[in-house]
Amino acid sequence: MKQQHTAGGARRGLFAPVDSRARVDAVVRRIGDAIELGLLADGEQLPGESDLAGQLGVSTVTLREALMALRQRGLVTTRRGRGGGSFVSLPDAPGADRLRERLRGWSSEELRDLGDHWAALSGAAARLAAQRTGPGDLDQLRRTVEEFAHTGDVPARARLYGRFHVELAAAAQSARLTREQVALQTDVGALLCLVLGDDACREEVAERQCAVLAAVQDGDEDSARSLAERCVQRSAARLIALRLEL
Amino acid sequence: MNSSPGLATVAAAPVGTAAEQEVVAEVDRVLEAVFDTVADIRADTAAVLERAAAQRRRPVTADLAALRPGLHLRLRTCALASGVGFIAAPGLLADVPAWLEWWQTTAEGGVRPLLPDLDPRRSAYSDYTHWDWFALPRDTGRRAVTGPYVDYLCSDEYGLTLSVPVEAGGRFAGVAAADVYLRHFEAAVLPLLRRLPGPAHLVNARGRVAASTDPARLTGSLTRGPDFAAVLAREDVAVFAELRLVPCRAVPLVLVVSRP
Repeated sequence: MKQQHTAGGARRGLFAPVDSRARVDAVVRRIGDAIELGLLADGEQLPGESDLAGQLGVSTVTLREALMALRQRGLVTTRRGRGGGSFVSLPDAPGADRLRERLRGWSSEELRDLGDHWAALSGAAARLAAQRTGPGDLDQLRRTVEEFAHTGDVPARARLYGRFHVELAAAAQSARLTREQVALQTDVGALLCLVLGDDACREEVAERQCAVLAAVQDGDEDSARSLAERCVQRSAARLIALRLEL
Repeated sequence: MNSSPGLATVAAAPVGTAAEQEVVAEVDRVLEAVFDTVADIRADTAAVLERAAAQRRRPVTADLAALRPGLHLRLRTCALASGVGFIAAPGLLADVPAWLEWWQTTAEGGVRPLLPDLDPRRSAYSDYTHWDWFALPRDTGRRAVTGPYVDYLCSDEYGLTLSVPVEAGGRFAGVAAADVYLRHFEAAVLPLLRRLPGPAHLVNARGRVAASTDPARLTGSLTRGPDFAAVLAREDVAVFAELRLVPCRAVPLVLVVSRP
């Protein structure tokens, strides 16, 4: 996560201890204001929970309640597991303009490299999953493919697309591949909204997911790998094409 | 899991060797100790839910905060558990749609709460009710061992989850559970498997290897062929081709050894 080094003084004040009265509200207000004022950037990671609680002079329980309130207001999102944490999120759903702006932050070479990394992860995961899954192990992936095909909401589609790849890595029985895939999806996830809004693209992805799933289920390691790679490469290619139009 | 073809090829064997029986009994004891911890969490949770019911109100997340000292204590005292807690059935709590009161050990030896984003508008992982550790106790009313599996919801670790149903007022209220990371499980059971004369491994009901002294059968791979679920259901030693299958009694794991 890129740190923004703007407004340093104001940011230092932001994490100074707060009064003991109405601690939760004070924390909510301080962090909430900082986000609204732009002192904290969209997507920026907040310090770790115990650090932040220490800097604010509140207990982790208080901080936790404050983060919950901020989540309810849509100002903070919390991501699961290791490599996760609390992140600033601007209140309204990411509009197409903001996403294009975010895409502009990537060079086509960086996007190509991201696609290569993603294809390597998903290809390896698909091959191992084909080797290591039995009947009953693929229920979650099947559910995800099904949901993806029937979801009209574009951000939800992008999240399900990410979940497909995370679950594929989990089906490979690899914690490392899964963690890598989770980290990668936090980079690529929102950008995918830009291509998944297109119906033709959505249908193509749905078909490719089904094909990957079928190959994994059949234990066909080689085709599972190449189908997964192809699926990722096509999505990356669409993103790059879009980037080159900006 | 298809049942009958496997059974036809699994022939009953008289008994496992005394050493094999001892190993499965020890494996049972290793995981029973974790289930004891889970039973304590269930009792604590049931008491918290009963207190709310006695006040004629639905429980809220603040009530579950009363579980924290106990959960922290259990993380410190149960050597194998790296995550413990209560996962509420959706709709149980009055103030949130869904909730995990879940605590984990940190690399530094402390404890920290899990803070998953359970808002379906933002997270693709908000619905946890289809995971085996939740669905099996809910659907069977009995305790369950899930995994080995990659837990990308809570720990990002490869492991086992041991869970039991929690009831309140005669209705399913959620599950009490503990996570055992595979590396810790391996450290606990490899010395046991090494007592056996030949290569041996433990598999779950689907044939997934949970621990192994056999370099040809690594943790996470599948041992294909035998119907391990049927072996567990029969609670008796079986043979399949060159393998002898010795079921644990208390947990759904099968010891697999090569026949001499």
